[in-house]
Amino acid sequence: MLPLANTETRRQLLGRASRGLGSVALASLLNHDLPAETADLESQAAIASSLPHFAPKAKRVIYMLQSGAPSQVDLFDYKPSLDKLHLTELPDSVRQSQRLTGMTAGQKNFPVVKSPWKFQQHGQSGTWLSELLPHLGSVADDLCVIKSMHTEAINHDPAITFFQSGNQQPGRPSVGAWLSYGLGSETENLPSFVVLLTNNSFFQAQPLYDRLWGSGFLPSKYQGVKFRSTGDPVLYLKDPTNSPEIARRSRLDRLARLNRIQSEKVGDPEIESRISQYEMAFRMQTSVPDLTDLSDEPESTFSLYGEDAKTPGSHAANCLLARRLAERGVRFIQLFHRGWDHHSNVSKHLPVLAKETDQGSAALLKDLKQRGMLEDTLVIWAGEFGRTVYSQGNPNSFGRDHHPRCFSIWMAGGGIQPGISHGETDDYCYNITTDPVHVHDFHATLLHCLGINHEQLTYRFQGRDYRLTDVHGEVVHKILT
Amino acid sequence: MLGQRYIGRSLTRLQKTNRNHQFNSLKYQYSAMLTRLSPWVFCLLITVTSTCRCEEIIKFGRDIQPILANHCYTCHGPDQNTRQSGLRLDQRDVATSPSDSGETAIIPGKPEESELYRRLTSSDHDLRMPPAEQGSQPNQRQIELIKNWIEQGAQYERHWSFLPMRKPSVPKVADLKWVRNPIDAFVAQKLNQKGLTHSTEASRETLIRRVSFDLTGLPPSIAEVDLYLNDPSADAYERMVDRYMHTPAYGEHLAKHWLDLARYADTNGYQYDTEREQWAWRDWVIHAYTQNMPFDQFTAEQLAGDLLRDGNSRTRLATGFNRNHGITIEGGIIDEEYRTEYVMDRVVTTGSVWMGLTIGCARCHDHKYDPISQKEFYELYAFFNQVPERGMRGFAPQERIPSPFATKQTSQLQEKIGRLKEEIQQPVEINALIENWAESFSSNPPDTWLLLKPKSMTSSGGSTLSELDDQSILVGGANPSHDIYTITAHTNATELRAVRIEALTHPSLPGGGPGRHTNSNFVLSEFEAIAVSATNPNESKKIHFKRALADYSQAGYEVAKTIDGTVANNSGWAVDGPTRKEPATAILIAEESFGFEGGTLLQFKLKHQANFSTHGIGRVRLSVTTDPRDTYDLISVPSDITNIAKKNKAARSESERQSLEDFYTKHFDPKASLRTQLDSTEKELATLVPATMVMADLTQQRKTHLLLRGQYNQPGEEVHVGIPEVFDYQINQPLSNRLDFANWITGRDHPLTARVAVNRHWQRLLGRGIVKTSEDFGRQGDLPSHPELLDWLAISFIEKDWDVKALQRLILTSSTYRQTSHGTTDDYLRDPENTWLSRGPRFRLDGEQIRDAALASSGLLASQIGGRSVFPYQPAGLWMELNNRPGYSKAYPQSSGIGLVRRSLYSFWKRTVPSPMLKTLDVPEREFCTIRRSRTNTPLQALLLLNGTQFMEAAQFLGARMMLETEGSIEDKIRYGFRLVTSRVPTEPEMQILMEEFTESQQEMVEGTQAAIHHGNLVPLLEELPLDAAQLKGMTSVARLLLNLDETITKS
Repeated sequence: MLPLANTETRRQLLGRASRGLGSVALASLLNHDLPAETADLESQAAIASSLPHFAPKAKRVIYMLQSGAPSQVDLFDYKPSLDKLHLTELPDSVRQSQRLTGMTAGQKNFPVVKSPWKFQQHGQSGTWLSELLPHLGSVADDLCVIKSMHTEAINHDPAITFFQSGNQQPGRPSVGAWLSYGLGSETENLPSFVVLLTNNSFFQAQPLYDRLWGSGFLPSKYQGVKFRSTGDPVLYLKDPTNSPEIARRSRLDRLARLNRIQSEKVGDPEIESRISQYEMAFRMQTSVPDLTDLSDEPESTFSLYGEDAKTPGSHAANCLLARRLAERGVRFIQLFHRGWDHHSNVSKHLPVLAKETDQGSAALLKDLKQRGMLEDTLVIWAGEFGRTVYSQGNPNSFGRDHHPRCFSIWMAGGGIQPGISHGETDDYCYNITTDPVHVHDFHATLLHCLGINHEQLTYRFQGRDYRLTDVHGEVVHKILT
Repeated sequence: MLGQRYIGRSLTRLQKTNRNHQFNSLKYQYSAMLTRLSPWVFCLLITVTSTCRCEEIIKFGRDIQPILANHCYTCHGPDQNTRQSGLRLDQRDVATSPSDSGETAIIPGKPEESELYRRLTSSDHDLRMPPAEQGSQPNQRQIELIKNWIEQGAQYERHWSFLPMRKPSVPKVADLKWVRNPIDAFVAQKLNQKGLTHSTEASRETLIRRVSFDLTGLPPSIAEVDLYLNDPSADAYERMVDRYMHTPAYGEHLAKHWLDLARYADTNGYQYDTEREQWAWRDWVIHAYTQNMPFDQFTAEQLAGDLLRDGNSRTRLATGFNRNHGITIEGGIIDEEYRTEYVMDRVVTTGSVWMGLTIGCARCHDHKYDPISQKEFYELYAFFNQVPERGMRGFAPQERIPSPFATKQTSQLQEKIGRLKEEIQQPVEINALIENWAESFSSNPPDTWLLLKPKSMTSSGGSTLSELDDQSILVGGANPSHDIYTITAHTNATELRAVRIEALTHPSLPGGGPGRHTNSNFVLSEFEAIAVSATNPNESKKIHFKRALADYSQAGYEVAKTIDGTVANNSGWAVDGPTRKEPATAILIAEESFGFEGGTLLQFKLKHQANFSTHGIGRVRLSVTTDPRDTYDLISVPSDITNIAKKNKAARSESERQSLEDFYTKHFDPKASLRTQLDSTEKELATLVPATMVMADLTQQRKTHLLLRGQYNQPGEEVHVGIPEVFDYQINQPLSNRLDFANWITGRDHPLTARVAVNRHWQRLLGRGIVKTSEDFGRQGDLPSHPELLDWLAISFIEKDWDVKALQRLILTSSTYRQTSHGTTDDYLRDPENTWLSRGPRFRLDGEQIRDAALASSGLLASQIGGRSVFPYQPAGLWMELNNRPGYSKAYPQSSGIGLVRRSLYSFWKRTVPSPMLKTLDVPEREFCTIRRSRTNTPLQALLLLNGTQFMEAAQFLGARMMLETEGSIEDKIRYGFRLVTSRVPTEPEMQILMEEFTESQQEMVEGTQAAIHHGNLVPLLEELPLDAAQLKGMTSVARLLLNLDETITKS
């Protein structure tokens, strides 16, 4: 009489049920008074119940977002052709009356500036990398460098909003929120979507905004939870009275008893749900400090990640935390590192930024690999656009403006072919010549690695079925395993 | 978020598949699974029953359109650009005629011959519709419905919400005793149809708490509860409702809801998210609700208050509504791109708020579901496209209009300004003043400055410093980007009070000086001075300056910045070199007098370290004075003028008299003190009355084009203002501007405005709208659960001249609203959202209400209305960790005192970093209009209520209140606190638990294992009270439990 449409889902459901989530799971079942969530409950449930759409290669994602836009010319996209073109004018035939930002639109000349840094090949794959990324060179054979990324946005806010939510204007859910909504959580003690910020030191760094990890029109419980490097790692985590665990426990028990009295009287299952959320809060008071306390890491960890990893809020420390979060079942871990926006004096600023991020990111890959986790962890390192090959301002103390038409990112791990480069750009590192990958394609591919058909993960909002990739996006099959 | 979603989802799916009878073979596995789930789940599953509609007349709008809209309209709907085969299923004449393929989709009465049905049921993969790739497929029941509908003749009717409203007759129901007003009759009829019964009336304690939260957002006070409990009159309830409607808190609470719709914020959003001052508009909303402004007027003023014939500054203030969207200041953006976004936001917001339509869907193409074409979208767009604004920093037009709550203060200041201006206008007897001034020269030489002869002078940047005859120092030679002049001089004077710096002009300087930059300017970043005893070089004293005066300072580079201790952010004194090119004098007054007996070596450092290069002073002269006055003449009077002044009046020649007058009027302003007063009063007024962004229309209309794919840089055909054709209801006059639009939308025959507004009030009071998708009344939205009731309410609303209070009174005094929310778990599972209203509303309070209630019951809540937003507690560092760019960022300026405890709608709303307290409790970010909030239940909320400083502080004050406001035993005090928080008396088992908490917590203190609790900035107030520390700790623990009860944060 009560059939099931999909055996795959049924099996998962059985698995869940037998693991005995008990009252916690029930609470969520009975969590009924959520207007936005129950909007079109049937269709939402139908969408969610079909997930994952196929067997996923990756169970989780660690995404190191490099805000400000790193220069592909100086880091990834090796162009010996620029030696000859150095200080020559960028031809109109290459620029093709592309729209420029207000910062260089008025510039009279567009002199090409080659990268002042040496490139060399690494590993068996022979991946070219700039000398600014020596550590990354040591894991070159694990990387898939995409050199043909492109976007439509030419300024930071719309571009990073686009990368994070698939739309240039604010208001849509972030990638992590889509995943929490679609795949739920693998852990009962931690949020499924965690955000880590590097303490910023670059004076012209672009700001970040809560909406970058927000839930948009999805229910707010899917938003990312920021783990902070100062104060409480999670807001309000610590009991201000410093009560010992036993006292907190008995207070919580009393609260539960009082709530149960009410529950019996009222009949509203929401009350049981509330009780279980307080239980979860209690567990987080143990699990989060346990997570952020690095004293159980051996010294070898710090030789891998670098001494920086001992400074809370450094990129390296966050890479290490990301691994610890991944180990504990967090689904989507996103790091934000700011300061790549070098409109002047690239020679001075870029090495600093490269150094801040190089060792930690490479160490993270090595660490995941040695723990056997790289194969089901998708790791991403990406900015929101690229930088111009021509100089902004004086070519001697050259700066580089925003460049949406081509830029490089790398991916590694779950579902991604290791040791390859994808896509090519022209001699000027200005236009893509083969295999363009749009931000929507990137999102489609990311979801694909997690077993999600990007066209089918939808949410009905204001009468429309929204998805991360809007009405676009093609999975980049060439880079998949 | 945390682990349990999966089962929830799957179970919901089970409910769904329950109605889908095609997988019987899996029955076995299913029951196997059931045994592993708890009995609760089992209950849930077996209580779900399917409904069969086969006997009924199938209605297009109710039964068929949702299926077609979901599965077919994308390719066979209103959008002409994506329409396939020329077939549209949303119009009967097209659907029943042959399409491009020659086949006819619908042949009324003959489903088997209708291509629509054939395609839906085809077993041929290539023919079957909708295509498999599309994803979601109609189920068997839905296909059956379509078949039956075609059989019944395939009658279409227009979408319900576009049809005119007709006031339905009130149904006659048996249960007359229960029916208090027509609402109950409609509800009873439905309950009857669904085989449900209403619940009994809730207790008085519950009712007053429910009403109080619904009308004021606050819990009732104990006095209010007692007044109501002891009111024996028949209309005690109605009187209680009226009392709350007439409190100031009513206006604040209603305004709070409007702010979500209006996407109100205190910052500009986008990247840098800088501050804006739009709060006077917020105050307008509070005031309008307090005055019970009719909804049509409320609408017209906000949409077109600038264009109203009898408009005034107050109605212009109202138009701030459509300027509340984000505005960017990101360098490098393209102006028109963002201006376009602002207009889009206005159109989309206005469409959602007043019409419940998702018209934004027609931005890029014809609406996929609703009959609004892309062209019609831009015809609406044209109404809002006339603002004289820009994309980059598009804050204009703005107007300084006082908050309705500050009018008295404002007019007092305005009067004072008028009076001062008048006084300044009065002619002065200049000759007498000149004579007075001149006399001072003969009696008391004004210049007491002692010029300092430089002893040594060096430049850190390699400039050449040379002394001139007048003891000034001329700077030449190398012109380094930054420079520090170190100058020493000897003086025998003691009791010195001030240093004078004269920046002088000289022909050798660029443009004549006084600065060394090519534009003649300088920036003196910092001036430092040390006095060293000439007799004992080990004795020295750094001179601290308390005040700086100058005869001229460039805006933003005031002279005080040269003694502010920092050179960062270009802090320093400058003098508008590019335009002025004149000498300037600064006087720095020392905190303490200086100068050693036996002579002093003064050492000065003039630091030029701004980010502007080569901005050194070109010629400088230093002096000191022993004059103890606190004001100094900044003017050095040339000797020829002094000589004239010393002469007897009669002895001066005409040209001498003229020179004297010229000098005097140039340097001395007889109205100086009046001007200073005027200046400060104007500043005070500006602070009190910020410039609010308001709407205005260009005098020369901006042309509007349809934008291809919605792109700002791809204009298509030109369009003019217009109303979508789907509306039968039009107004009888040519449309030209927003005022016409406002008149159209507030017309009594508009099919949507009243329905949408009434539905939102229903949603707020009952927890779920009659149309559940309160943001979408279009074809993709939910159908009304009680369509007749909705229309009856909407028409009554209009008949009563859009009286907002009357509408709420009607709902609040119905038996429907007054039902108890207590039921069995079965009741809750059968109708989790209470769609059929068989019980009273019960759901978690909004974030603002939860915080405000904690403040109210602890006695902390401030009752001040309106004004600038405030900065309550938040963990340190949240603003700076996201944005620490100098000049574009600042740390959260947490309030002290009253700002910590004002109502939450006054909390400063920063879009990119919203208040963590409120955001955790589901308050939307306000980037865009939100019609319906999500209401979640998360561990982060538990942490906030348990540990947040605001709540911890409230618990302490609540504890103290319990101790101080009641005589009697500990139990009595706890009982009192329980009533403060929940409005009812605790039961014995509840008391026992609370007593345990008290005893244990107090004991910890007595035994010294734990310190007393002290959290929050207001705690010192508690320390002045006669409170036993251990008892306070125990009571605080009890209060903390009380504030965390589910009941406390729930409207029941």
